[in-house]
Amino acid sequence: MSDVIRAADQWVEPRSADDLGDPFKSAFRTTRMAMVMTDPRQHDNPIILVNDAFSQLTGYGRDEVIGRNCRFLQGPETSAPTVDELRASLAAGEGSEVEILNYRKDGSPFWNALVISPVRDAGGQVVHFFASQSDISEKKRIEFELLRANDVLEEQVSRRTRDFQIALDQKTALLHEVDHRVKNSLQVISSLVLLNARRAKDEAAQRVLYNLAERVGALSTAHRLLYPVGDVSRFDLGEFMSDLVGELITLVPKGRVDVNLAVEPVAVAAAKAAPLALLANELIGNALKHAYPAPRRGTLSVAVTKLGTALRIVIEDDGVGLAGGALPDHGFGKILIDMLVRQLKARLEWEDARPGTRAVIVMPLDTEEAQF
Amino acid sequence: MSSTKSLRILVVEDEILIALELESLLQDAGHAVVGIAASFREAVESGSQLKPDLAFVDIHLADGPTGVDVARRLNALGVTVLFMTANAKRIPEDYAGALGVISKPYTERGVRQALDYAMQGESGPGRPKDSMTFIPFEVHARGESPRPA
Repeated sequence: MSDVIRAADQWVEPRSADDLGDPFKSAFRTTRMAMVMTDPRQHDNPIILVNDAFSQLTGYGRDEVIGRNCRFLQGPETSAPTVDELRASLAAGEGSEVEILNYRKDGSPFWNALVISPVRDAGGQVVHFFASQSDISEKKRIEFELLRANDVLEEQVSRRTRDFQIALDQKTALLHEVDHRVKNSLQVISSLVLLNARRAKDEAAQRVLYNLAERVGALSTAHRLLYPVGDVSRFDLGEFMSDLVGELITLVPKGRVDVNLAVEPVAVAAAKAAPLALLANELIGNALKHAYPAPRRGTLSVAVTKLGTALRIVIEDDGVGLAGGALPDHGFGKILIDMLVRQLKARLEWEDARPGTRAVIVMPLDTEEAQF
Repeated sequence: MSSTKSLRILVVEDEILIALELESLLQDAGHAVVGIAASFREAVESGSQLKPDLAFVDIHLADGPTGVDVARRLNALGVTVLFMTANAKRIPEDYAGALGVISKPYTERGVRQALDYAMQGESGPGRPKDSMTFIPFEVHARGESPRPA
């Protein structure tokens, strides 16, 4: 194409095809690229030259187009902004390259890759425009199909995303509902046991009921921490221990026992929350109830640490000690502790802390728990 | 409210076992439960007739999640309101005029802290910080807006 333009540059003002110089004329006529030449110095920039390829592409014969402006190729679906763009560059004497929908003589549309170049004289004035046309309908068809396919895919993706979001929202709402019901039921159980305890005439029965209420309370405290926003499969044992100690310390008269808490945040599987809560409740409750008979005062230490793939819980009092009867009696508390330790696959050691008693629980963590 | 006064309390709770146990707990703490209401209508009637100092209000009542509206009406009647719920997510942004929320299942400690907070008013120094079951809203007092957990 650039050769053609250079040829056209050297060329002296043709007013019609007959004025063309020979080598250029034959090249222009025989090329397979559809081409026209216009004269912007004449009124309405008419076509002064077309080749056979143009006639083949558009269906218009040479005599039907010479003297007319190129706009007869436009039709109902031709983009108005593209036409404006063309008109502006022609008016400015500039070349342009556009893809435009044109129409053949028989009315059938085709996509035209139109390239227009100005031809200037020695003084720089535009004396001709030189335009080549090529049919890119197939390329455009594929482009449109890709765009449509893309739209369809995007629509599918957004529909599925919406479906997933709805499913997730429903699941979250359900979880909250179940959580709410469980908490309410725990509250009813707790209230039921406490009401019963308050009305019990027999002191032994009352003690049993209050112990039961404490155990339900420990489960409730665990449950409150079980479904925070976010991960529902984990349970922060450190946070639970702080809370539980805060609740249980109210069992002893104010000021009798100080608390020394050293708990790391340790995430354990939610399934272990209940047995750990009950176990901790027994051990801490036991220390508070038996290690400090009045007027004895002291400090209860509770530590939770992670040692590699194991969890270590230490509950230590400086009270009356093993000999003083601080070890859990042979009642239900002792049985419960043994069962829970077995369930958790943990190991419980009682040590003489001189003074006082130290209970050390070591529980293996699973691979996931150990990561936290 | 002065910290030595015995309060007249309305319990708005449709679960009778919980209401009765809470009544015992409040009596042990030296207060009087003047009424127990199980629905929106009962709560508003009791509120206007009995003129309690304080109301413990559950969100879910016998006639649905009407506790929030109960709180607004009681608050308009000049009753101090504490929510008591297993579903704190239901509490609106403006707390419906309530002073705080006790999470169910509550503990005796949580209820006592809530009572202390309500009695010391909004100027008292010893606000509970470590309690998991009682969360004061503080919105009216300090312009902060901590959300209940």
